Amino acid sequence: MANDTLAALVEWAPALLVGLGQNVLISLTAIAAGSAAGLFIGALNFSPLRPLARLWVQVFRNAPWLVLIYFTTYVFPFEVHLFGRYLAFPDWLKVTLGLALPASANVAEILRGAVGSIPATQWEAARSMAFSRAQVFTQVILPQCFTRMLPPWMNLYAIITMGTALASLVGVHDVIDTAQIASNTVNRIPFTVLIYFSLLALFFAWCFPISRLTQRLERRYAFH
Amino acid sequence: MNEALHALVQAVAGWGLDYRFLFDAYSRASLVDGALTTLALCLCAALGSLAVGLGLACALVSPRPVLAMPARAFVDVTRNTPTLVQLYCAFLVLNMLLTQAVGTGNPFTPFAWVVIVISLHKGAFHAEALRAGLQAVPATTLEAAGSLAFSAPQRFIYVQLPLALRFALPALVNNLIDLVKMTAIASAIAVNDVTYASIMIWTQSDNVIEMMVLLLAFYGALGLLVNAIGRWLEARLRMPGYGQ
Repeated sequence: MANDTLAALVEWAPALLVGLGQNVLISLTAIAAGSAAGLFIGALNFSPLRPLARLWVQVFRNAPWLVLIYFTTYVFPFEVHLFGRYLAFPDWLKVTLGLALPASANVAEILRGAVGSIPATQWEAARSMAFSRAQVFTQVILPQCFTRMLPPWMNLYAIITMGTALASLVGVHDVIDTAQIASNTVNRIPFTVLIYFSLLALFFAWCFPISRLTQRLERRYAFH
Repeated sequence: MNEALHALVQAVAGWGLDYRFLFDAYSRASLVDGALTTLALCLCAALGSLAVGLGLACALVSPRPVLAMPARAFVDVTRNTPTLVQLYCAFLVLNMLLTQAVGTGNPFTPFAWVVIVISLHKGAFHAEALRAGLQAVPATTLEAAGSLAFSAPQRFIYVQLPLALRFALPALVNNLIDLVKMTAIASAIAVNDVTYASIMIWTQSDNVIEMMVLLLAFYGALGLLVNAIGRWLEARLRMPGYGQ
């Protein structure tokens, strides 16, 4: 009996890994897009367009992720007309966008926090050496921000990773969707128990090392 | 009331948003019902998560490894796995096993499972905030309380906990705002919350944009409400000499 269940899990393992690959792809694309957009919006915080940046951050930090994912899934078309050709706009990409929106708002806040944590004397010292304001920002302040931004940014990545679980709710064929199919196909209670707790273990194995590393980095940078 | 609604719908119609479904008694009733369900979920889960958080925090700072180690393991597992998977483990696995064992006598509804899962999940986050608060209480304060003949439980209840609550309050409010947003996953197991009600309406009337604006405004308002309560509590509980 127990052997049967394990054998079924081994049989389904390749399908689960393919599903997990989809989650990895979504999370990496979302953090990349979210970081690029977030750095841009965070930089707007230090320009005359500040109110725009604040509005973006407020809206996307206060919306439930699931609602944003439904939003991007149902609002965007399933294909786009570009350069005279029709390009498919797959569901997983819409979910990625739905995760990138709150990610960008969080990255913008992380950048704001990091810049705020740089002592004001750094600005003054650089100004006294005849750097322009833009030069101070890009050459003195930003390089110091990146080490400070790393731990919260990694934390954000772990949160986005956990957010990819929501993709299954809008029909993306990810690891959770695969687990549900497996559970319904095999249709045995011990297998159902095993596969859902395997899901839990998979996500834990992926996120826990990131969070431990984050804690280590935080401790290391705490004294600077 | 009805006239005001008509005027409002008329006004936003100019922006291309069609809210006429609000005049349909059935749609309106299901939306109001969903909003009330979400409010009930938030309230139950907020109270539940605070209770769980307090219990876990006490276990985390306990000098006894029998208490501290399981609590630490629980917090780590909960913080590093998706809430949706936890909900499935609870609803699709535990609930199924329970139904197998006791048949139709299973007392837990999907609503109850969502409250339980969110309470445990956010409880782990509260516990971390409270643990930091408990450890931030200066040792000298505790020694002073000890020298005034407070027993250990008294010292905890009257001195350490009230101070820790104040230290942890901003983080707790932050977690509670997150909790409000998290209740949207109730729609995944067909609890008729405001998200689920909206999905039902937009699959019938194809008005995703209008429903989205309404949903985001609803969750935004709820978040602002929690934030306002938090600010009020912070001001109310502020002590001279602690914080700005």
